[in-house]
Amino acid sequence: MGGATLFSVSDTLASVLLNGLGSIFPQPIHGWLTNPDLILGLAVLIFGAILLAASMINTIVLIWWERKLLGRFMDRRGAMHVGYAGLLQNFADGLKLFRKNTFRPRESDSLGFYAGPVAYMVTSLIIFGILPISSGWNSGALPLSLLLALAIFSFAPLFIFVSAWSSNNKYSLMGGMRSAAQMIAYEVPLLLAVVAVVVVSGSFDLATIVQEQQNYWFWGPLFLALVVFVAGMLAEMERIPFDLPEAEAELVEGWNTEYGGMLFAFFMLADYLRALVGSILVVLLFLGGWTMPGWVPSAATSFPLAGIVWFMVKTYAVFGLFVWIRASLPRVRTDQLLRIGWNRMIPLSLASVFLAAALVLVRCLPVFGCLPSPGV
Amino acid sequence: MQPDDVARALSTRLGDRLLGVETFVGTAGRVRFRADAALDTFHSVHDELGFRHLSMVGGIDWVDHREVFYVVWSDDVRQYLILSADLPADAAHIESATPVWESANWHERETWELVDITFDHHPDLRHLLMPDGYVFHPLLRSFKLHEPEELEVKQRSV
Amino acid sequence: MSEMWLNMGPQHPMTHGLWNLRVKIDGEMILDCDPEMGYLHRGIEKISEDRHYNEVITLMDRCCYVAGLAWEHLYILAAEQALHVTPPERADYIRAMCDEFQRIASHLMWYAAFVQDLGLMSPFLYGMRDRDLVLDLFQSFTGARMTYEYQRVGGVRSDLPAGFTDRARKVLDWLDERYVEYDRLCLGSTIFRERCDDLGKLTARDCIATGVTGPMLRSAGLKRDLRKDRPYSIYKQLDFDVAVADAADVTARYLVRMEEMRQSSRMLRQILDWLDHHPGPVLADRLPRWLGAPYAPQGREGYLLKRNYPKGLGFSSVEEPHGEAQAYVVNEGGEHPYRVKFRSPVFANISAARHYLVGYHVADIPPIMGSVDVCVGEVDR
Repeated sequence: MGGATLFSVSDTLASVLLNGLGSIFPQPIHGWLTNPDLILGLAVLIFGAILLAASMINTIVLIWWERKLLGRFMDRRGAMHVGYAGLLQNFADGLKLFRKNTFRPRESDSLGFYAGPVAYMVTSLIIFGILPISSGWNSGALPLSLLLALAIFSFAPLFIFVSAWSSNNKYSLMGGMRSAAQMIAYEVPLLLAVVAVVVVSGSFDLATIVQEQQNYWFWGPLFLALVVFVAGMLAEMERIPFDLPEAEAELVEGWNTEYGGMLFAFFMLADYLRALVGSILVVLLFLGGWTMPGWVPSAATSFPLAGIVWFMVKTYAVFGLFVWIRASLPRVRTDQLLRIGWNRMIPLSLASVFLAAALVLVRCLPVFGCLPSPGV
Repeated sequence: MQPDDVARALSTRLGDRLLGVETFVGTAGRVRFRADAALDTFHSVHDELGFRHLSMVGGIDWVDHREVFYVVWSDDVRQYLILSADLPADAAHIESATPVWESANWHERETWELVDITFDHHPDLRHLLMPDGYVFHPLLRSFKLHEPEELEVKQRSV
Repeated sequence: MSEMWLNMGPQHPMTHGLWNLRVKIDGEMILDCDPEMGYLHRGIEKISEDRHYNEVITLMDRCCYVAGLAWEHLYILAAEQALHVTPPERADYIRAMCDEFQRIASHLMWYAAFVQDLGLMSPFLYGMRDRDLVLDLFQSFTGARMTYEYQRVGGVRSDLPAGFTDRARKVLDWLDERYVEYDRLCLGSTIFRERCDDLGKLTARDCIATGVTGPMLRSAGLKRDLRKDRPYSIYKQLDFDVAVADAADVTARYLVRMEEMRQSSRMLRQILDWLDHHPGPVLADRLPRWLGAPYAPQGREGYLLKRNYPKGLGFSSVEEPHGEAQAYVVNEGGEHPYRVKFRSPVFANISAARHYLVGYHVADIPPIMGSVDVCVGEVDR
């Protein structure tokens, strides 16, 4: 898949745009416009815009995907009326939320109330920017991109708690407390499950981890880690069966009870963005990322966007699994959730780390074959 | 259980405060007792006759007087029994049944606010269906429908 | 977090209606609670004093909006006793059929709401979907889906349409298969059992003391069902078992309601068979003129004949889907009842809230209150 990366594409776009624009004008302006610094700046802007658009469109399509899937699980059709099969329904909903009045309870704390959702949204967007989606779409290219992504991921409880606290609502407060307790409890097994992957692949760089899985997806040999990771992700994403912070039956809407209009839309979008990021992480760490299996014909592999398409198919399939879980499980109680987190998940994740270490020592397993390169 | 059986069992303790037991189709009878014998009646019906389950308490405004009635059920004879007492309209109060039947609590609250019958020694005689501070008693005959009434709703104390 | 009072309601997803559950909590623990009712008080008892006997039926549908026909039956039984009217036998069978179908519909509604409280999303839609089939049946012979106004003093408004019994049997067949599915979705789920076992305990002793009836009472192991103990209408002729469970917790209430639906299906098959073979009138022919047939009073000549009205007292008790409902009708002569008093089973069930809520978690409130099956319409009346 050539050298075309997302950044090189936006760089080319910027220089073509500015050079074209500059050729219209006489010298002093021409020199200004074709200044390499300006081109670089515009390239960065275009790059960011593409990322933002991709994340937003993916999030909204993800919501559509969830609504349709949930509908089918419930023996109904889901959104049907706006656009083909309701594809545009979420855009319409977003537009409606956008037009709504933003209000704030009188007794609430204005700074926290407004900053919370914005920070929550922004951090979720940053993670999406870091994650590689194909060999070209790899904006981070950092040696520690996995750690960075997870570190930003774990900011969320802070912002949730800030916005819950400043809402000055008892339900929000309880939701925020639950959210903080839950995210902290599940952060540990989640990271330990990631450690298992790191031990086997020998790298914190997501691109390297994916390259390691070229012919050897980690989900089989590291199945225990996958289970722990998915369960931890469910808790981090606050989805049924772990959606206690916003358990609508008792807490109305949990920590975002007092939010309406665009601020609520921020929470909603960020939630699904985090769900998207969670699904992407599962695909990156366990399901081979954008690497094609051997049986795919080379004509399909050489198609420029094939990696991205293949990746997104897997991502949506993983999210479909989350939806399936949501459609068929009741939610657990707070004490049960914390008990599962501390008493079950942490030992399981530790075991998965040991299994990974053993795998590195053994190197070859009967069914799954051998590790491609030496690990840590 | 027939009305005669009920009368026999109750008369020993109540004496002439038991005004009679009438037949009431579908129940064991309708016991009419004097309001000052309320607690004794409740105790005998609950302990001696075995009517352990209080189903409902209701009041009727007969304009010249008020009636309060209790419907109780016994699992032993599988029958209902209706207890009824007449109260003067100007001093409509009777002993609360809550010491005998805990379930009387809410029913008496409702009867108090709707029919204006006061239950003495009730643990928690607050408004139930009407807003706090509501001064009317809607199920009295003097409360006319179709007439605008002046609502005075006081601030609720929480 | 120190102790605080939390208002769950009047607008709250848990309440399923308009009422306010005030709970005193310490962190997640419930220390005390105080239900506040009255947000849906429409003064049905007062309005009834001003209505013709048949016009009160309209109010009964609004009394409990998920079990309208059962409440109509309740009122009609008391009114007929107060007015000394006897319905034809076929009408009695049709009313019993309404009761049992209504029980199924109400329990399906309960199932949908209850699983939704637990966070189970799909079964909510399944319950609503299957309830719709029963509502379709109601629509075919009453013309309405929720407010039926079908029963009359002295019978029912109209006979069943042709082919109704076959359609009803088909619905029952479908539902019988669904019950198995429901059980698999709930009892088969570990999380469901973890959430519901040993939750909201209310022993038989407390049930009797606090006046709790219906499925809640039977889930505590007490085999009391008015259809067996005090058979009204035609229930003596039907062969069925009373659903009981011992655990007295939320799971037990679930089991009781599920079994009740199965027993209702069983009864309905017997009733439908009887209806197939016994055509006849559905409205008594010897009604007082002013009672009018089949609809509102014809003219107001009743006022002229005031002296001739019979007086009487009516009392009825019916095993409604939520528990034992009672009606007390005082007929002092005239077109209107002098006083109508209803006993709502949910009224008593909620009043015992302190007994089954205190000591559990805030997260337990929705499943516990869900297992009580609150219908605020009949509590506030």
